[in-house]
Amino acid sequence: MKNFKLFFYIYSHKIFFWLFVVVFVAQIFFWKATEKYRLVDEIVPPAPSNHLIKASSFGDNEFLFRTLALRLQNSGDIFAGFVSLDKYDYSRVYDWMSTLDKLNADSRLIPSLASYYYAQTQNKGDLKYVLQYLDEHSSRDIDKNWWWLFQATFIAKKDLNDLDKSLYFAQKLAQNNAKEAPIWTRQMPAFIGEKKGDSCMAFKVIKNLIDESESGKRQISVEEMNFMRHFINERLSKLKKQNFNPAECYSIKS
Amino acid sequence: MKSILKYILKNGLRDRLYLGLLTFIALAFAVSIFLGSTMMVEQNQSSIAYALGTSRTILSLGMILFVCINVARAFDNKEIEFILSKPISREQFILGYLLGFFIANLLILLPIISAVLLVFKVDKIGALYWFLTTLSENLIVISFALLGSLILKNSFSAILASFGFYAVSRLMGMFVMTIDFTDELTSAKHGELGIALKILSVIFPRLDLFSQSSWPIYGVKDNMVLWVIFFQSTIYLPLMIFMAFHDFKKKQF
Repeated sequence: MKNFKLFFYIYSHKIFFWLFVVVFVAQIFFWKATEKYRLVDEIVPPAPSNHLIKASSFGDNEFLFRTLALRLQNSGDIFAGFVSLDKYDYSRVYDWMSTLDKLNADSRLIPSLASYYYAQTQNKGDLKYVLQYLDEHSSRDIDKNWWWLFQATFIAKKDLNDLDKSLYFAQKLAQNNAKEAPIWTRQMPAFIGEKKGDSCMAFKVIKNLIDESESGKRQISVEEMNFMRHFINERLSKLKKQNFNPAECYSIKS
Repeated sequence: MKSILKYILKNGLRDRLYLGLLTFIALAFAVSIFLGSTMMVEQNQSSIAYALGTSRTILSLGMILFVCINVARAFDNKEIEFILSKPISREQFILGYLLGFFIANLLILLPIISAVLLVFKVDKIGALYWFLTTLSENLIVISFALLGSLILKNSFSAILASFGFYAVSRLMGMFVMTIDFTDELTSAKHGELGIALKILSVIFPRLDLFSQSSWPIYGVKDNMVLWVIFFQSTIYLPLMIFMAFHDFKKKQF
């Protein structure tokens, strides 16, 4: 025991040096073994659960909403540019947008991201998620969210080329009673119906608006009235060629 | 009591509380404005939410550190014994300390709300409610930190306890939600977890309702919550002050 203590006293610096070398070599082996072990960095991670959201907000939902909205906006930022939108998992983007709506449904931020940014995807099949979100968001209060219904109508028509879907949104849009909404929001089903070749639909919508104006139910400005007349006159020749009979529209159940 | 008050305020200067916290908060404002400006829309609203959320947290945590370290130092340096050797009651001592911390907190909060009003377009009434509720939230946190420091004496334990108190109080909304959640999921009425959470919700204040960043943006939509905050503050503040009186009265030096 005494010899060991003496040995340790004399050679301890050498022992610690070799121990250091052994541990250093172990560290190099450890690095080699774990070099390929990487954290999974997804473009759009799964949306947080309601419970996690409630816990991480610490009572301040607005702060968390803005923080997560920034995260959603900057998804795909890989610190060396942005990933193309067609590589995003849009079902997750939809989950994120729906979750963020639960934190703040009054903000324009998430519907703006959906309409102006995420709708630009190259993969048109993903647009169904954007439209589903815009539909759910707007349906909560059509008077307040008529603009997003118009965006959905436009995306479905122009980007998705799906006139049935576009008409569905246009009809919802026409239900709005917002004072600040322009008259064309009510004419939208007529425009889409006419694009679809459904002259009856276009005729009914415009006629309803003119009837409402004449009965005093709705105030329509002279300019709007002139536009509607122009809309009808421009299409009269086409309708005449098709032998369009307005009376038939009322015999067909719409 | 006036001299204690002055002493605490000077301690704030000596510990660079005002300078430190205001520098941190100014930095948080700058980062908030930058982050808000990167948003696609609602840049102003986003900057407001970031600035208010971060400054509230920095202020609360900073005040906890200040209170706990100050009181522990007073114990270590025998300052408390020295002050109590003067003709001053123990209640006056606690009230003097509390008032000093409250004013120090107000001195930091006033520039924050002034900066918010100057820099951002805000709903003025909502901003006023944010200011008042943040003030009462900080008063509750300061009172708890003082009470914790008096009971525990050790600054580290008092800081940990106060951070825990603040975190749990801000999570109370989720806990209350979880009580119903467990009831929905289990057939047994009020499982153990539900009962534990219910006990917690009896003891801890509902700080999650205080100082909402949404108020200066959209205004206060539900006036009921203001009444809840008012009653919560008027009940909880005296509760901790009386507890501090009781504990400090019993203390032997």
